[in-house]
Amino acid sequence: MKIICEKCGFTMNLDKSRIPEKGAKGKCPKCRHIFTIKNPGTGVSDNANKSQKTLYWLQGGGCGGDTWAFFNSEPPETSELINDLNIRLLWHPSISNHSIAAQNKLNNDLLSGKQALDILCIEGSIIRGPGGTGMFDTLLGKPKKDIAASLANKASYVLAVGTCASFGGIGADGEIEATGMQFQKWTPGGFMGENFKTKSGLPIINLPGCPCHGGVISGAIAALVSGIPLKLNQYNIPLEWYGTLVHQGCTRNEYHEYRVEEKKIGEKGCLFFYLGCHGPLVYGPCNKMLWNRRSSKTRVGVPCFGCTRPDFPQQYPFFKTRNIEGIPIELPDGVNRAHYLAYKGIAAAAAPERLKKRKTGI
Amino acid sequence: MSRKYIFPINRVEGDLEIQVELKDGIITEAWSAGTMYRGFENIMKGRSPMDGLVITPRVCGICSTAHLKAAAKALDMAYNIVIPDTAKMIRNITMGVEMLQNDVRQAVLLFMCDFANPYYKDFPLFKEAVSRYEPLKGSSALQTLVESAAIIEITAVIGGQWPHSSFMVPGGVVSSPSINDINQCTYLLNRYRKWYEKQILGCRLERWAEVKNNLDLDKWLEESHLHADSDLGFFIRFSKKAGLDKIGKGHGNFICFGSFDMPENTDIKSLNKGPKYLPAGFSQHTRIQALQEESIFEDSTCSWFKTDDRPLHPFEGLTIPYATGGEGKKYSWAKAPRYQGLPAETGPLAQMIIAENPLFTNLVSSKGPDVFSRELARIVRPAIIIPVLDKWIKEIARNMENFCRTYQEKESGKGFGLIEAPRGALGHWIHFKNEKIENYQIITPSAWNGSPRDLNGVRGPWEQALVGTSIQDTDNPVEAGHIIRSFDPCLVCTVHAI
Ligand code: SF4
Ligand code: SF4
Repeated sequence: MKIICEKCGFTMNLDKSRIPEKGAKGKCPKCRHIFTIKNPGTGVSDNANKSQKTLYWLQGGGCGGDTWAFFNSEPPETSELINDLNIRLLWHPSISNHSIAAQNKLNNDLLSGKQALDILCIEGSIIRGPGGTGMFDTLLGKPKKDIAASLANKASYVLAVGTCASFGGIGADGEIEATGMQFQKWTPGGFMGENFKTKSGLPIINLPGCPCHGGVISGAIAALVSGIPLKLNQYNIPLEWYGTLVHQGCTRNEYHEYRVEEKKIGEKGCLFFYLGCHGPLVYGPCNKMLWNRRSSKTRVGVPCFGCTRPDFPQQYPFFKTRNIEGIPIELPDGVNRAHYLAYKGIAAAAAPERLKKRKTGI
Repeated sequence: MSRKYIFPINRVEGDLEIQVELKDGIITEAWSAGTMYRGFENIMKGRSPMDGLVITPRVCGICSTAHLKAAAKALDMAYNIVIPDTAKMIRNITMGVEMLQNDVRQAVLLFMCDFANPYYKDFPLFKEAVSRYEPLKGSSALQTLVESAAIIEITAVIGGQWPHSSFMVPGGVVSSPSINDINQCTYLLNRYRKWYEKQILGCRLERWAEVKNNLDLDKWLEESHLHADSDLGFFIRFSKKAGLDKIGKGHGNFICFGSFDMPENTDIKSLNKGPKYLPAGFSQHTRIQALQEESIFEDSTCSWFKTDDRPLHPFEGLTIPYATGGEGKKYSWAKAPRYQGLPAETGPLAQMIIAENPLFTNLVSSKGPDVFSRELARIVRPAIIIPVLDKWIKEIARNMENFCRTYQEKESGKGFGLIEAPRGALGHWIHFKNEKIENYQIITPSAWNGSPRDLNGVRGPWEQALVGTSIQDTDNPVEAGHIIRSFDPCLVCTVHAI
């Protein structure tokens, strides 16, 4: 295990088995400061090391995509995040290997308060159907939604990971009566109610995206563990990752600037006027942090589908821009319609040949 | 006396509960219950046909490229388009790398993780298992997290992101990769190959290809400590000691929809000279027949849906949850797909059997399918597909012009896309009228494998595979976990989609 000197921050590795149960005095090899090294303990309900933060990942009505986005993020790679920040992962349904008995004990200890819960990550929507019973999603015959509620009441922080957990996402309009933890699409409330606060005094923090970018998930976890405050907007979304439009940083920005548009898929150009790109309408880090360290949908020619927005998935067709006489109904967030149209007209007239002829190689 | 138990199974992508009846510690009956319904097929109704490309990848977070491909192929058929070779290659490559990331993740993080379960604490190989597979700590687990995330970067280079991009469209793909993109893909695949050869296989792909039967397998294991010490070598040593080649037998029926559409112009030859590199087919043990789409039906006698008086072809499929009728019989959110009325297992082992791979044909014809052969097929599948993907990545560079063919949109149409997802046979069926979806049906691989009983009371494949297994500790039923996980179950697909 890693031992960090409380004075100078020097890190060293020590074999866990060499630390007696009660802990031991140790001297930092760098600054010579003497301090107590605590035994991290072993059992599921052992709370010996108070500085160690615990994390529990619950999956509800979702596809598991946020989990895999998280496992694909790097740096820090998932194991680095967990191990280096000294997080104790109590449970993740895709990697934990507890026995059924150990898992039951853990859940009981969490609910009785014997086991402290610092961060609860919820992935997937809260399924309330049919008729509010939640029986479309059960664990051992009981609705999963009840488990989500009891854990949320115990946790210091709750992260709603992905658009389903944040706003309802897939199924929010349908028979499964899906909702987000504290929002139903644009409306505050959702499953836990508008006034709900976690033990830390914060509301549920929403990390939308379908899936949420893995770097956002690890960044948010790291911030909470390290006590760095996150500034939230009116949808309880941290501005750190959702302060800019998806459009910002797209390699097609120059096409957009001069209104050189892609009318048919694969033509190259900006996807805003015809192919339904939501880049200028929704907030997210896709073109800033990039996906899988490589690219983004809009860079390769897939329109942004607005998957971070509370109304995703939209009720009108994808791959088409809703327009009135060729002008999109929804314009870039915050622009004045008349000014924007005048500017676009002039921009199109000023478009250079190298863009019109797609000579840029993008 | 027999008693009933419920085993919730984790590390299976989604929610699964197995109910078993035990008599003297032996499973005498098993019921597999998917415990969630997400209603995708009804969400699709009334939407634009193209929306399937955006909505259906969200069925599953670990095989979203597979759903995208099935959705795109169903539209290709509905619009009657033949896509260009370059697009075929791109679809094949991205589908292939989804298998590459899945196979090592499943083997190391989900399956062999159980070797480090306290159940085995007195087992001679336990210490080694813990040092390799302990979650987030074991040496192989750590490497697998990094390398599986690295190989899927290929899909991001070509398709923008993974999971959940929509870069395949009717007519081809939206992207037009540059020479530099192609070089990056080559580099990423080489990197994965080197790691896979060193860590997972313990030998070159070429050496592994010489293993053609059970005897060759023993010889390979003894030949070098590099073989015995690799994850594959450890898997074989552990499985044989733990008797995994004796449990999880199943019906012995296999189904494969075929994978990797052959480009017209390529140096690769498909395994049976047919239109797909891995051929489609159905087999009872090793008696293989050609696949006929008309023979696929879904039965919902034991599923929590309205039941027709007969199994329905997917074009007629109904998805009406919690309708009345059939009380007492229903126990799962999964429907029961059947081929010519029979249950069938699907996945890498089925692919190998239908492709007449000598090693797996030998293993299955001598002992029938079991946990060992099923998991082995998955661990070594990358060895078969890496060289093919490598060739296609290079061949794309021959013609970088045309990645998408234009076509005439139609107001109404019907089509299906049958493909192989990482976990096996996946089908999408679409029917649209006046540019709106009338009916959309999805049959996922885990619907085949984890299906409940049908109207004749015949068990689904993994229910069947569980019967007869002895369980040592009902608080920690590791044996049941091995059997279920050898099918690489993906319940998010199965139940969410139905
Ligand atoms: S938000 Fe998207 S990625 Fe996350 S669970 Fe829902 S469908 Fe899956
Ligand atoms: S394609 Fe979309 S994100 Fe890119 S420049 Fe155009 S509108 Fe912006």
